[in-house]
Amino acid sequence: MRVKRWLLLAPLLLTILLLQSYFWVPTYEKQATGNPARLVTYIEASSGDAKILNPILNADTASSGIVSLTFEGLLDLDENLNFRGRLATDWMISEKAYLFASPSNRLPDGAEITGTRVVERIRAALQDEAFAALADNVRSVTVLPPVSRTTTVSVQTQDADGNPTRRKVEVTFDVPERVAFSLHRVDQDFFQRLLPVIGDRYLENFPYERYLTFAEEVSPEIKAQVFAQLPELFPVAEHNPVIDFNLRKGVRFHDGHEFDAGDVKFTYDAIMNPGNLSPRTSDFEPIKAVEIIDAQTVRVVYKRLFSPAINAWTMGILPEHLLNAEAMQREMDDRGLSDAARKAFGMRDSQFNRSPIGSGRFRFVEWHSDEYIHLQRNDDYWEGPPEYQDYYMRIVPDLLTQEMEFRSGAVDYYGTQPHQVARYKEDDTYQSFSSLGFGYSYIGYNNRRPLFADPEVRRALGMAINVEDFLRYLLYGEGEHITGPYPPNTQWYDQTVEPLPYDPDAAQSLLETKGWRLNADGWLEKDGTVFEFNLITNSGNPIRKNIMTIAQNAWKKIGVKCNTQYFEWAVFLKDFVNTADFDAVVLGWSMGVDPDLYQLWHSSQAGPQQLNFIGYNNSHADDLIVRIRQEYDQDVQRALTHALHRLIAEEQPYTFLYAPLGTRVLDKKIVLVHRNEDGSERYEKIYPIPSGDITFHFHQWRKLEFTPSL
Amino acid sequence: MQAFILRNVVQRLVLVFIVSILAHSVIHLAPGEPSEVDPANPRMKPEDVAKIREAFHLDAPLYMQYAYWVRDLASGELKSFKDSQPVLGKIWRRFLNSLPLFICATLLVWTLAFPTGIQAAIHRGAVYDRTTTFAAYTLISVPGFFLSYIVILWVVDLFGVPVIGLKTFGMDMAPPLFQTMDRVWHLVIPSLMSALGGMAILSRYVRSQMLEVVGQDYVRTARAKGAEETVVIYRHALRNALLPFVTMFGFLLPGLIGGSVIFEQIFAWPGLGRLGYEAILARDFPVILTLNFIAAVLTLAGTLLSDILYAVVDPRIRTGLQGDG
Repeated sequence: MRVKRWLLLAPLLLTILLLQSYFWVPTYEKQATGNPARLVTYIEASSGDAKILNPILNADTASSGIVSLTFEGLLDLDENLNFRGRLATDWMISEKAYLFASPSNRLPDGAEITGTRVVERIRAALQDEAFAALADNVRSVTVLPPVSRTTTVSVQTQDADGNPTRRKVEVTFDVPERVAFSLHRVDQDFFQRLLPVIGDRYLENFPYERYLTFAEEVSPEIKAQVFAQLPELFPVAEHNPVIDFNLRKGVRFHDGHEFDAGDVKFTYDAIMNPGNLSPRTSDFEPIKAVEIIDAQTVRVVYKRLFSPAINAWTMGILPEHLLNAEAMQREMDDRGLSDAARKAFGMRDSQFNRSPIGSGRFRFVEWHSDEYIHLQRNDDYWEGPPEYQDYYMRIVPDLLTQEMEFRSGAVDYYGTQPHQVARYKEDDTYQSFSSLGFGYSYIGYNNRRPLFADPEVRRALGMAINVEDFLRYLLYGEGEHITGPYPPNTQWYDQTVEPLPYDPDAAQSLLETKGWRLNADGWLEKDGTVFEFNLITNSGNPIRKNIMTIAQNAWKKIGVKCNTQYFEWAVFLKDFVNTADFDAVVLGWSMGVDPDLYQLWHSSQAGPQQLNFIGYNNSHADDLIVRIRQEYDQDVQRALTHALHRLIAEEQPYTFLYAPLGTRVLDKKIVLVHRNEDGSERYEKIYPIPSGDITFHFHQWRKLEFTPSL
Repeated sequence: MQAFILRNVVQRLVLVFIVSILAHSVIHLAPGEPSEVDPANPRMKPEDVAKIREAFHLDAPLYMQYAYWVRDLASGELKSFKDSQPVLGKIWRRFLNSLPLFICATLLVWTLAFPTGIQAAIHRGAVYDRTTTFAAYTLISVPGFFLSYIVILWVVDLFGVPVIGLKTFGMDMAPPLFQTMDRVWHLVIPSLMSALGGMAILSRYVRSQMLEVVGQDYVRTARAKGAEETVVIYRHALRNALLPFVTMFGFLLPGLIGGSVIFEQIFAWPGLGRLGYEAILARDFPVILTLNFIAAVLTLAGTLLSDILYAVVDPRIRTGLQGDG
């Protein structure tokens, strides 16, 4: 019966046709099936698309990932988070220092101060044994003649309706004779060391009013404001750290154009150009000038002591010839823009940001919005080309899809959620890496509130909380208990500081010594008031919400009454954090690699909208913080940060909780490839560098056809 | 017959017009603005928004906006708000992506439903019948998206093969045969998933139709004549049971557009359903309206086709028409 046969045969044939295709498809184990190029292709999944592929303009994770592969900075960080030369082969940090020769003061022996006299005294002193250390650092001492500088100062005033507004006042400052020092090394105490020679009071009471003329008549209040700003604008003693970068010869951008000092200066100018609205401006603000010495040498002069400023040079360098005024003009002509469009046209509008040309290990190929970005290796790279031929960043918004694609070999990398970590660690089909990032979580107490003013009380609150509970129940073990304000995987973190012990009984007796006694209801009470406060955090973060609940319960056990509440992020910031109108918060910081804690912990940063919103105020800590950011010697800096860490740990302005571990999973067939001199290859298992980063050796990664036994 | 077709076509043209006006009003009256001019978008300056609104004719009266839409659609100049790409080209490319999925799913439904349904009818009340009935009701009641996720997890974990998307990412360098087979493989799971529901329902239909026909006098007569059982079932009974299904062919057409929004979303399939879904989220009016228009045309064309097919296969209806015409 034909009909019957067909009715049975048709579905059978269709099913066979469909299912046989399975045998042609690459599987996780055999990814090179019919497609050997897969082994030299690295595919990463990203939840969001990149926005702008320009190192001085990008501000999102996806863009900076691509930019870091296609562009290269003068420096980067090596395995131990120390600086390493990239486009710069090496660099020298020295200092130029300036001192006003103020005739209004007297030298210690009563002699009048003139530039020449100060120089003579200093030169004489440098011959002395007692100043040997100083003499060792001073390269030269000279006198600079007086000059006149005209500048504008911004002051607060009122408009016609009495509303506060800012205006600029033009002033001329007659800079007096100055003594200029050239130093081998940066020394933040240089002028203090000079005081025995020039007199203890030399730096004080400079009569600014004698040297200042206003371009127009202004009110006394405005004058007072201007004078208040002068010591910062024209300091009596000025440090100008100088970095001389020697640039690598023969490095070419992906279009073949040779890289030189002009590109470095151009990149700096582009960042500082207000029209480009670069989010990096504040990183480069401490720079006074970028000078081209020759094609291979750049000198960067800084306005003041600020050692973290060198970090900024890890940012990618732009090709001047593709983005300068001439190139922009050409692009406007090519695109036939209208006059209105031409006026507004800037680097942000350039096509360059969608097809960038840098000098990094990979060169840009194409970008399909919301689909993928394709890079290819730069065979011309000065350190030799990377092992991978192609790099794709796929845009896969859905996390489950990302995981499925990873498990079937269509993506090479997956960042797991905490609850998945255990499963992936046990699974030997993949290689997984758990390591610290640069973030941590804490409970911050508003130090201005009388309740929290006493460090012992804060210590007691911290001792009542078992951080191990957070680690075990909230992070599935994926975190580390921390003791202080630095990320624990940096050298700034003092590993010897002991964490607060979990000891509710001791916490309770500590509070008892402070006068807090349990009342009939089981709450701690002092002078008729119960120990009660509000703990708040932002909504949308389940872990923080759970931290609040666990802490609330832990405190209840020792008789501390804590009410918890969470608010939408914008409200949380606006109504509570920025106005410092809260008792305690659960929050986290995402830190950088530099040791500067000025914005987070310095007492001057405790105003509205500032980051020391808990109002931490300790003059010793302030001192350390300032010294750290002015110190250029890393060993000294480390000793200072350890001291600061210990001090803050003793004071407990936060209860420091934990630094979360991030776990990433990779295809097990990806290995580190070492090439021997005879051309043979040696494989090594991928390992994280001390800071926890696994992609540090990315240029040596490659996928093998088989799972190697390493 | 020609008069019958002509009358039907004219009726449906009027209907398409009315539907397009209704759709236009509903979409414009619904809350929400195109994301390009959403005032909540902090990256847009008010003057830019005003410029864009002007370019999109968003401040013109509704009937003018409708006229602009018809004009642009007719001249093929209609552009998407989102990326200023021509709408028809966009839809065509997405249609080509959706088409294999649609064909494959339809083939699966129609080839698998008939044998299972017929077998169940023949062995009514037997274990086979009960099993298929149970399976069919299970498939009808379990949500497709849920089942899809389970199947994706299962296939990926067991076989380690990619199942999401049109093709395996990074296969561009492979030989054409491998690429084709890879595409076929990527069709398997999504088309099977979107076919399951249809299969379950259609096999139920087939079963009940067959049961109805098998009980008819002429089947008994055929048996009495001494015809073989297979001949009775597959020649005498099946042919008559098929009649109602002919009309269902026509209703397949609109499924081309809206049939697989959920599955295209789950399997990251860049097809028409997803285009429409994303357009609705972004209030991309030109795309929504054009898709809606095409859906309306296809639905009406489908019903027309059903009417004609039915007339062709069923002489009783044809006679009726001739008498009428």
